Amino acid sequence: MVSEEEIIKVAKLMKIDLVDHVEHVNRIKKMLEYFDILDQIDLSSEDITSQEKMLSELRKDEFIPNNKKLIKSLKNFREHYVRAPKMN
Amino acid sequence: MTKIGLEIHCQLTKLESKLFCSCKANYREFEPNHNICPVCMGLPGSLPRLNQKAVESATSISMALSCKTPEKIAFFRKNYFYPDLPKNFQITQLNVYGDMSVGGEGYIDVEGKKIKIRRVQLEEDPGRLIYEGESERTKITLVDYNRAGTPLVEIVTDPDFENPRQVRIFLNILSDLLENLGVTEPGLEGAMRADGNVSIEGGNKVEIKNIGSFHDLEKALHFEITRQQSLSERDIEISQETRHWDDRRKITVSSRSKEEDQDYRYFLENDIPWVRISQETRDSLKKDLPESISSKKERFVEKFDIASQVADILASDKYYSDLFENAHSDSDAKDIANLITTDLMGLVDTKEKREESKLTSQHLSDLITAINDKTLTRTSSKTALQEIVKSGKSVKELLTEMDLSQVSDSSEIEGIIIQVFEEEKQAVLDTKKNPETVNYLVGKVMQKTKGKADPTKTLELIKSKLG
Amino acid sequence: MNLKTSILDYIDDVKSGSYTVEEFISATIQRIKNIDGDIHAYLSLNDSAIADARIIDKKIAAGEQVGTCYGFPISIKDNICITGTKTTCASKILENFVAPYTATVVNRLQNEDAVITGKTNLDEFAMGLTTEFSAYGPTKNPWNLKYVPGGSSGGSAASVAADECLASLGSDTGGSVRNPASFCSVVGLKPTYGLISRYGLISYANSIEQIGPMTKTVKDCGFLLNIIAGQDSNDDTTIDNKQSDYLKNIEDGIDEKRVGIIKEMTTDGLSPEVSAATKDAIQDFEKLGANCEEISLPTIPYTVAAYYTITSTEAGSNLARYDNIRYGYDLDSEGYEYNSYISKARAQFGPEVTRRIILGGFVPSAGHAGKYFLKALKVKSKLISEVNNAFEKFDFLISPTAPVQPFQFGEKIDDPVTLMLLDYNTVTANLTGKPAISVPYRIVGGLPIGMQIMGNNMNERSLLQAAYALETKTELPEVPL
Repeated sequence: MVSEEEIIKVAKLMKIDLVDHVEHVNRIKKMLEYFDILDQIDLSSEDITSQEKMLSELRKDEFIPNNKKLIKSLKNFREHYVRAPKMN
Repeated sequence: MTKIGLEIHCQLTKLESKLFCSCKANYREFEPNHNICPVCMGLPGSLPRLNQKAVESATSISMALSCKTPEKIAFFRKNYFYPDLPKNFQITQLNVYGDMSVGGEGYIDVEGKKIKIRRVQLEEDPGRLIYEGESERTKITLVDYNRAGTPLVEIVTDPDFENPRQVRIFLNILSDLLENLGVTEPGLEGAMRADGNVSIEGGNKVEIKNIGSFHDLEKALHFEITRQQSLSERDIEISQETRHWDDRRKITVSSRSKEEDQDYRYFLENDIPWVRISQETRDSLKKDLPESISSKKERFVEKFDIASQVADILASDKYYSDLFENAHSDSDAKDIANLITTDLMGLVDTKEKREESKLTSQHLSDLITAINDKTLTRTSSKTALQEIVKSGKSVKELLTEMDLSQVSDSSEIEGIIIQVFEEEKQAVLDTKKNPETVNYLVGKVMQKTKGKADPTKTLELIKSKLG
Repeated sequence: MNLKTSILDYIDDVKSGSYTVEEFISATIQRIKNIDGDIHAYLSLNDSAIADARIIDKKIAAGEQVGTCYGFPISIKDNICITGTKTTCASKILENFVAPYTATVVNRLQNEDAVITGKTNLDEFAMGLTTEFSAYGPTKNPWNLKYVPGGSSGGSAASVAADECLASLGSDTGGSVRNPASFCSVVGLKPTYGLISRYGLISYANSIEQIGPMTKTVKDCGFLLNIIAGQDSNDDTTIDNKQSDYLKNIEDGIDEKRVGIIKEMTTDGLSPEVSAATKDAIQDFEKLGANCEEISLPTIPYTVAAYYTITSTEAGSNLARYDNIRYGYDLDSEGYEYNSYISKARAQFGPEVTRRIILGGFVPSAGHAGKYFLKALKVKSKLISEVNNAFEKFDFLISPTAPVQPFQFGEKIDDPVTLMLLDYNTVTANLTGKPAISVPYRIVGGLPIGMQIMGNNMNERSLLQAAYALETKTELPEVPL
């Protein structure tokens, strides 16, 4: 069973302000309860795998200048800096 | 018993491009946010593309540190929110599904003590935060993403250091090693940074982050050891925590609230396939490693009979060893080595001086030839070196221009000797009584000839004149 | 000139001079103006579509080289970037985001002279099954406006079904192309993972999602695949498809092919109409000469839980970048502290996205990863072995695409588990990376049912042959619009 506190703590970690607490928390609990089904399957012999590539297939080390106007199309501030909120 | 461990970050400034895109790896010459693209800005829909040479450089570094290197490497996401992280996660390496970072289990020898290298990993640098405004209240945060995505190699040591002095020596050895490998320029600002961890008497380990330079690291370590010792003396437990170095107040400060609740939710970076580095490729990289500093030193001493201390200086500094290797022949190696480590050193001891210097290996070779031919005295060669570093003129030009040619004509020297004998009558008498003091007279002749007289001949002629 | 035509027929008509590109595009734009107010398939339109059409007509008239698309109209799901266009992912948080670059797949289409009609609606950030989670209002099913079109590529499916374009590009993470294709009676393909470049596709779950073509006919799907598939240097996860021609031999049929009927997807949980249609489809396969046999894949019942665990983890990470600092919508940071600013900005996420992000923070977290995330990854591995084994015995695996027909708005949106289970038949293809296609099969009570065929990795050519064969056995009414 997952507690409401835990869910609110995770929301904070993910920088989400939970406004409609009750509805969200209940739905999330329901989904997590459904995930309990994963406890019922035998996974002891399973390995994690992935796509693979050879070193020689990777991107070559070249400098390719990019569009200098990119920053203009995003949010920028005095002399092209991006302005972030005050850090604590 | 003090235990110190290090986490060193080294930028691969010698690469052309960033770790996951083709923006420039060395961002220093750009205006803010002019070295960016959709990938390093983490724009929606962008995907990382791994830089082949970065993997090779990182693998070479691992090999130079005597690490094991795996057959497959993988990348992971370290998830946290910070304005200098365009994606709010950093792509880095971990050894979660077996050993999958570029290297591990290596070491560096520091005065006979093996400092173990736990892990070498490849990761991306975040952007840079700049604070504007004086008071805490009105400070605004500006972000420049030019650095975001720059390739970093992180080197993690075991807590094998016993004191900050060992740390300093280690870092010098490491900087020289990495520069010798040709992967980075340690002199560039911000190219090498280190964080540390400290524990005393088997107590809790304290991590120290946000250290700007190696110089600050030493200060931070000293401070932290003292802090822990004073707590321990008062029987206060040292909490296991992360502290950051406050450069203004020169103290470490607890970062408790920031770090403790952090959960990085590490998982595989699925946009980057696992990279297979075959045994063949690794053997080839190993073969192509530039000669190590210790190996160079050994060779200089054994093959060319160069003094150990001189060989040390030459081998540990790539600038000098490159000059040396290109200048010497088998016969004059020792002379060139000495010339570099005595007369030249003061002229090119900083990055700026080296950048401005016009001196080449050919100059060195020509100088030694001239000295050995006796067309130039050692003393004059000092003056010549200064001019060469400044103007780059050839030795031949300088010999005529500056009138530096050695005076070896006996009658010319004799003429000067007669003059000196006239002026230094007392000294002549002293020398007749006590032949050991003859060098005073030699010195006077050298003075009068502005160092150009052949010293051997001068001594000979004076002795014969004294009778 | 009939808008209810296929890409291939359109190209023949334009080549033969039956009509010009401009005429067809203008008629298409007019159609959109007439009906999209009701359907709401589009979020934004391409204002220069007609101008683009004129340029192509000029090239044709001058006898110049024209791209293979001959100006056919195609819509693009609004989570795919096109330079200079708003790309919102149907979210408020990207309300003002104008993409500064173009996705590879769109580049390839534009290079072949396709005409983009506009960007289509979706569930916010592609998370959903009914398009009800769009922050800009849902899309209606052209077969019955009271019913959902499926999701998340609901706008794409509806635009094709309603003849507002001849094809669309959607994206499929757990069924998001096939499910709405089934609900709207169009062809929808989720290709092999790595066949189509994701550069420019705004990530939701990057380890399993693919862009997928949605068309009226199977041959059109092959045609589109020829243009957009293939390795891309901008996407390290793409695979070399050796320039396969997906139209070649598409009519070869499936005589003697071995077809596996996935037991877990064709027994419980199906509506009676879907069940009956499935039985008939199996018979059709046999009439076409295939040998059909039931196969059990015991890991299937765990796939939905594994899927949502994995995708919410990836979503939590992929959506972390939306903190409104570098791009987003207008919210001045003056006076805010960092954490409170970005939390406030991220309150613009809709409810479903918010929940998935929280789940995505929970299931891989230090204390819980062992129970959820790591187990889910192992279910994925187990499933891959199981399905690979199945492909030793069979050439194709079949099931109905969705266990039910389209349902009314609001009907399923309140129960999260019921909603998740709509993906029951489709997530397997995503988790294993294998290609799967939904073929329109039947209309019952005015509502569509689609059949799903799954193939082995990089076997799109034979998969399309099977789909084409099934298509020859279907006779479907026209959409009542």
